[in-house]
Amino acid sequence: MKALKELIYQLADDDFILAYRGSEWLGLAPHIEEDVAFSSINQDMMGHATMYFQLLEALGEQEADQNAHLRAPEAFRNAVLLEEVNGTGSYLHQPNYDWAFTVVRNYFYSVHKKIRLDSLRLSSYEPLRNVAKKILMEQQYHLMHWEVWFRQLLTSTDEAKRRMTEAMVKVWASFGGVLTLGPYYGEMVKANFIDDENVLKTRWMSAIKKVLNETNTNMLPGEPGMTSGNGRKGEHTTDLQQAIATLAEVYVTNPAVSW
Amino acid sequence: MQTYLSFDDLTNEEKYEHFMERIAAGEKIEADDWMPDDYRQSLIRLISMHGISEIMGALPEKEWVPKAPSLHRKLAIMAKVQDEMGHGQLLLRVAEDLMAPLGKTREHIMQDLFSGKLKFHNVFHMEAPTWGDAGMIAWLVDGAAIISQSMMLDSSYGPYARALKRICAEEVFHAQHGESIVLALAEGTAEQRALLQDSLNRWWTSLIMFFGPKSAKETGNSNADKNIMYKIRTKTNEELRQEFFTKYIPRIWAIGLTIPDETIHFDESTQLWVYKDADWNEFKQIVSGHGPRSQERLALRQSSYDMNGWVREALAAKKAI
Amino acid sequence: MSEQEQSFYNVYEVFSKKTDKSPFQHQFSLLAPNADMALVMAKENFFRREPVADLWVVKRDNIRKLSQGEREMLSKLSKEYRETKGYGYLKKKWREYNQEQFTEQHILGGREESK
Ligand SMILES: [Fe+2]
Ligand SMILES: [Fe+2]
Repeated sequence: MKALKELIYQLADDDFILAYRGSEWLGLAPHIEEDVAFSSINQDMMGHATMYFQLLEALGEQEADQNAHLRAPEAFRNAVLLEEVNGTGSYLHQPNYDWAFTVVRNYFYSVHKKIRLDSLRLSSYEPLRNVAKKILMEQQYHLMHWEVWFRQLLTSTDEAKRRMTEAMVKVWASFGGVLTLGPYYGEMVKANFIDDENVLKTRWMSAIKKVLNETNTNMLPGEPGMTSGNGRKGEHTTDLQQAIATLAEVYVTNPAVSW
Repeated sequence: MQTYLSFDDLTNEEKYEHFMERIAAGEKIEADDWMPDDYRQSLIRLISMHGISEIMGALPEKEWVPKAPSLHRKLAIMAKVQDEMGHGQLLLRVAEDLMAPLGKTREHIMQDLFSGKLKFHNVFHMEAPTWGDAGMIAWLVDGAAIISQSMMLDSSYGPYARALKRICAEEVFHAQHGESIVLALAEGTAEQRALLQDSLNRWWTSLIMFFGPKSAKETGNSNADKNIMYKIRTKTNEELRQEFFTKYIPRIWAIGLTIPDETIHFDESTQLWVYKDADWNEFKQIVSGHGPRSQERLALRQSSYDMNGWVREALAAKKAI
Repeated sequence: MSEQEQSFYNVYEVFSKKTDKSPFQHQFSLLAPNADMALVMAKENFFRREPVADLWVVKRDNIRKLSQGEREMLSKLSKEYRETKGYGYLKKKWREYNQEQFTEQHILGGREESK
């Protein structure tokens, strides 16, 4: 039971926090048409997080809104990469957001999310299986969207290539945090909730290798790292604290009332 | 293609006459059609201002997107602000096609915004410091926008009418999203109600200003009248404002809010609302970039535009031949 | 503005089908550098709520449109001889031969109506 909840918290928080980071971009994307398209993806992801929060609620965890807004950072199970700020500045004031980082983070995550969902589609826990199937329909579009961006920027101007390469190095350094299933990984796999993290990782690595190959880009060296901590263990950065403070700002003024 | 007595053989006067006949007959003018310069300029002025106002209008509400106080509100306000960006997309496309023969593109629209040449709606120069404002904007600012937009649904310019049709379809969701936030606050705690009342106090004057001044002589601005002649719009500013009052004042009162204007009442004899008019000099100040948040919002728009310049350049290199 | 930035903007016209059975219909236009990008943008810019079964993007430059002069030539005098209008008397004629006039359905071979 603990392992199942841990897994669903990972799924919920990954989507929730990355969608939050995406929502900060609203109105600030490179051009208007992309602003609209990107926002749909963030809404979808936050919708996916909501479905997972509801699964947790059914498993006896607190109500979805409380769960999303009232937890301490240590209780979050998202990968640290996904909480990282979009850049310096804030979404209200002098944002210096990095579109290359956003494209790489979202693309690498989307590839992994698809692989993870393909495994969850066969999970031994039926409610999770059902949610995974629903999410997969939308995930196809996300993957296509980010893949177009990833390939085009990587094969365009020198500046774009340079920025994309820098972003890949940065994402690679903590993508290990997305790939891991955390301390309860053995039980998750034994109960057939999800495939072995090494199997998923191999699939992800070969998918990335393929696309880099096709865009004449060198494969990143070594293994994806976990330089800023293991979010699956509740290790997080101040970026998450800041995110939670913002996303819960209104809610915490009175969690008991309806808004 | 061989044409005999074709449209192209007509003199300019005949073309103008033909154009006015089409408008009178309720036909729709399309982007590539012959049109008087005056008509083109009126449309460019109106639609680029409308379009950029949608884009700038995303900013005050955007402040509340990450902070919305539940998962459902987060999703709904994201969708709502996204729609506003989408409205900007539709309208700017319409404006861009009108400007194309003059050698102008979206880039020029953005630069005109940054230089202050292109103005945006007064309401989007204002502050939105609380969650109450997120509700108030969607309820009353969108409410005002719905009234002026739906008036132009039958606009003589086809592309504008088609864009407005798409926009108005989404405004129904915006209205209900706004009503839902406002009612939750109105039925909530004393603090929540105070949030709402404060917000109404803050927005009332801006809402009066939203429709523009009463008559041409007050500002020397005759664009509205010209737009009526060309059947781009059908009602005057004051008619729209009165419609807004009739639609919303009873509701504002019904949920226990006080309008910050002691003089406001409906005059049975004239069948008009009597109200305290806005200070139109202040209005001019606001729309010319001297509102409380004008410069911050422009700076935000410009810094996001500049920081992404490399992306647009990179994609230009990926341009299809 | 740099020349590159200006050249980023291509206009793509967006067409879609609501269902498998419906014909393609023009929806709107958008700015994008190329067709792949236009396609990923089109979906969320124009179909956030309405159902969509298929999607085309066409670069506007590749469309040969009618000029206003050409378009105004499209209106023409009515051509009744191309239509079923003048054939009302046939019903009576067939009666004289003790036959019912074929309805449209009969003429089309009694296939199932696929309206
Ligand atoms: Fe709008
Ligand atoms: Fe709206």
